Amino acid sequence: MKRTGFLWDKRYLLHDTGPYHPESPKRLQAIYQGIEAGNLLPHLRLIQASRADLNWIQQVHSKKYIQRFEEACRSGQTIFDSLDNPIGPVTFEIALLAVGGILDTTRLVMEGQIDNAFCAVRPPGHHAEKNRAMGFCYFNNVAIAARYIQNQWDVHKVGIVDFDVHHGNGTQHIFEEDPSVFYYSIHQHPSFAYPGTGREFEKGIGAGYGFTLNSPVLPGQGDADYHRLMERDLFPAFKTFKPEVILVSVGFDGHVDDDMSDIQLSTSGFSWIQSKIVEMAESYSKGRLISILEGGYSLERLPDLAKNHVEILLNS
Amino acid sequence: MFVGKSMTRKVITIDKDANVLTAKDKIEKFRIRHLPVVEEGNRLIGIVTDRDIRSAYPSSLLNNGDREEEVKKLSAIKVRDIMTPHPVTVSPSCTIQDVLLLMQQKYVGAFPVVDEKGLLKGIISIRDLIRAFITVLGIEEPGTLLCILVEEKVGQLKKIVDAITEEKISFGSVLVARHWEKGKRAVFPYLLTVNVGHVKRKLKNMGYTLLDPMEWYMDQLPKT
Repeated sequence: MKRTGFLWDKRYLLHDTGPYHPESPKRLQAIYQGIEAGNLLPHLRLIQASRADLNWIQQVHSKKYIQRFEEACRSGQTIFDSLDNPIGPVTFEIALLAVGGILDTTRLVMEGQIDNAFCAVRPPGHHAEKNRAMGFCYFNNVAIAARYIQNQWDVHKVGIVDFDVHHGNGTQHIFEEDPSVFYYSIHQHPSFAYPGTGREFEKGIGAGYGFTLNSPVLPGQGDADYHRLMERDLFPAFKTFKPEVILVSVGFDGHVDDDMSDIQLSTSGFSWIQSKIVEMAESYSKGRLISILEGGYSLERLPDLAKNHVEILLNS
Repeated sequence: MFVGKSMTRKVITIDKDANVLTAKDKIEKFRIRHLPVVEEGNRLIGIVTDRDIRSAYPSSLLNNGDREEEVKKLSAIKVRDIMTPHPVTVSPSCTIQDVLLLMQQKYVGAFPVVDEKGLLKGIISIRDLIRAFITVLGIEEPGTLLCILVEEKVGQLKKIVDAITEEKISFGSVLVARHWEKGKRAVFPYLLTVNVGHVKRKLKNMGYTLLDPMEWYMDQLPKT
């Protein structure tokens, strides 16, 4: 059995999005309950969040943006940058705890204290751009983790796999000119789903051309299409790129019972995806894999999906 | 949706007495396909396209020596010799819709834009129209497309717009397909949010059918 880390912190529940918002604290409670009910907690290395050093966040976001976000929260504003992004007085602090927890977890993996990990954080990150909050996201957690790894360890090539049902526009834009970070995303086709980027022809820019790869999935498609597209696109790309660490933007919102999308992945479809990513980590990355939560809004399905996800990490 | 707003104002033009080599250089340098031909005072007298220039050029299959000889001769050929005189033009106060229909009719890729005195003010090409329609569709802003099937009766769109507005969601655009199936229309609101779960449930509860967008998409593909 692997030494798997599990980042979860009660303080992540304090980011209050209001009564009708799908990105609610209940998501993390559902995830915790699923892992607890599966009797997995005794097998996991539990990790508590700590506050991130702003220097790491500045590797991805501008100082001005970070200040603007902090001021908006402290001054009692209720919306930041977009109506999709509600904020409260503590949102900035919780976002720092999300990044901080992920960086601590990343350090444990890189130091070899644990093999892999699942970071169940709020708020999510993959839509956050360098200077703009979008789609429930404020700080781009996965992008900051990638930069942290490259800065602190002798690691050059980081692979990011994003299977949230929405394209991770922020992550793509942050790395699109950078050949050292390969960004792969599979998501509902941007003509039908937020945020309208991640089309097949978006493949990176300049030196980064060929290091961004998108597989749009049409509405109504599901498991078989994910198999086909990942086999066609992701597997050969990572075979060539050989990432030294794999970061996963985990989104459970492509589930057939999740009403945020028209994608029809089954619960076992998600297990297949994660198993394949874990196999790639074994082949290319010495098993080093850090999963970071993005979306997933079906409170009925999240417990099982999270439990399966962690089980696959433990048994890889 | 006026041409004056969507046209390219900084037009690359060519003088009627310039030679064909100069015209070719300009088209390549600025990566364009249409060169309005002007005389004194920026008066439009014709248009030369990259196809006109290619036709005037010797075949690239000729051997090098022969081809160089032929190309040299081109310095004697003036733009006015190969241009289309009196091209179809539009005025700045025409609409984008006018231009679309006219393009479909005339089979051309660009119209020079001239004022009432015949002076060149701009050019509107397929490229400008693409830009205008990306803006109209709102698809450069992040959002989600809904596909709603409605009865063909008065007031449906209002109900939908109201229901969405109550959720404090902004619209990127709304398209209506009038002939969907007998007695039905399809409404496609493009909403500037990721958060559509609640509004989708609400519309379903109001009795609307939310279409699988694929159905519409497949319908747009050429029938085999």
